[in-house]
Amino acid sequence: MKALLVILALLPLGFAYFKLESAIDPIKMLYNITGVGAITLLLFSLVPSTCKRICSINFLRYRKTIGLLSFAYALLHVSVFIVLDSEFDFVTIFEKSLKKPFIYIGAIAFIILLFMALTSFKKLFAKFSKYHKAVYLALALALLHSFWAQKVAGVFEYSVVAVGVGLLGERVWAWKALHVKTF
Amino acid sequence: MNITPEALFEARRDFLKLGAGALVSSTAIAQLLADTPLDMSLTYTPDPNPLKLSPNTFEQITNYVNFYEFSTDKTAPVKLSQKMKTDPWSVGFFGEMKTEQMLKVDELIAKFGLEERIYRFRCVEGWSMVVPWIGFPLYKLLDYLEPNSKAKYVKFTTRHDPSLFPDQSKGIFASIPHPYVEGLRMDEARNPLTFIAVGMYGKRLLPQNGAPIRLVVPWKYGFKSIKSLDLIECVESEPLNTWQAIDAKEYGFYANVNPAVDHPRWTQSKERLLGKLTKQATLPFNGYEKEVAGLYAGMDLRKFI
Repeated sequence: MKALLVILALLPLGFAYFKLESAIDPIKMLYNITGVGAITLLLFSLVPSTCKRICSINFLRYRKTIGLLSFAYALLHVSVFIVLDSEFDFVTIFEKSLKKPFIYIGAIAFIILLFMALTSFKKLFAKFSKYHKAVYLALALALLHSFWAQKVAGVFEYSVVAVGVGLLGERVWAWKALHVKTF
Repeated sequence: MNITPEALFEARRDFLKLGAGALVSSTAIAQLLADTPLDMSLTYTPDPNPLKLSPNTFEQITNYVNFYEFSTDKTAPVKLSQKMKTDPWSVGFFGEMKTEQMLKVDELIAKFGLEERIYRFRCVEGWSMVVPWIGFPLYKLLDYLEPNSKAKYVKFTTRHDPSLFPDQSKGIFASIPHPYVEGLRMDEARNPLTFIAVGMYGKRLLPQNGAPIRLVVPWKYGFKSIKSLDLIECVESEPLNTWQAIDAKEYGFYANVNPAVDHPRWTQSKERLLGKLTKQATLPFNGYEKEVAGLYAGMDLRKFI
């Protein structure tokens, strides 16, 4: 089941591979596919806990896999930035690119995902799982990065905001139901 | 390349419909050919291409566009624009000039003739291409219109017609304010490189590329090269171009291609030539420094973005 999930999530990469030769703007295409992939999967990683509360289906055991897949996409996205877009020109990366909010906001989101990926295995997870709430920050930053990436934001960005607000709203509501006593 | 032009292809089909075996009078054929739709092919003087630029393919140029009147997506305008009616099309010439008037695109072609210009095209977003435009230099048109002494700028406006451009009927949900406006200083407009294009790759412009008539300013970021022109006005003060109106910190009036001045969100030092997986250096004034740098002598190009 997990293998199926991984294969399904990685399908867009196969598509990118076959399209690469004929793509009109190949670097942009790789940015888009890896960026949209990372954000979409990050959003999906928030779904299992919602599902557990609302429809009492527990697939929390897939949450880590989804999160790691999102990280894999983010890693590829950063690789496109370093290898293809910046062509390993670290002077430009540090002197120019990383000074721009658009880039460093994305970089912070990636560092959060990197931290979560590294601490997602048994021993470390026990110690660090409480910090994994940072996923909300990562999603918000990644989304802001996505808004800034273009001249005018499109359907994808607004859809993610809508779904994200829905998922977060449900969490707030669930938390209130637990912690705020109603008389 | 031995491809039958579309119009001829259509004409041939019409002809075949008559029945190839039947006796057909030559006058009937002549009549039929006269009734065929707008001929898409153009007659023009080819560009000797001294810079040896190699143009991007027709497929690349016609399938990767920024045309927000249709969509903010790069490929969606291709489908959305196919029904756009671009003939007949008149452009209005108004403002500080000898005689205000309207002229059809075909009248402009007849007046000024057609030549090819193979130009680099650099988008502010960081991608670039090489396009074999067909049209005439703007100065020929300005010579004809005879701007008066008050004419300091030329203002360009895209047609406002929601039946052609879906985004124009979206009101506050439109992606940008409509109609799209651009401007040039008179000396920029009169520079021999500044071009009015009606075609590309030997054919009339396809709708998604700004048919039937558009501006091309090769040393400026692509958003200056306004599409589907409705009005060309000679004016006294600097027009507020659309992207400057949207965000003056990011997009200015001049928008000269400049690798040394970053966009606030990304660097402009390199560009992605369409079809390539490796990047190339962006040239000052997009490689036209020799021809146009003099226009900006004494100006701080960090300030006048």
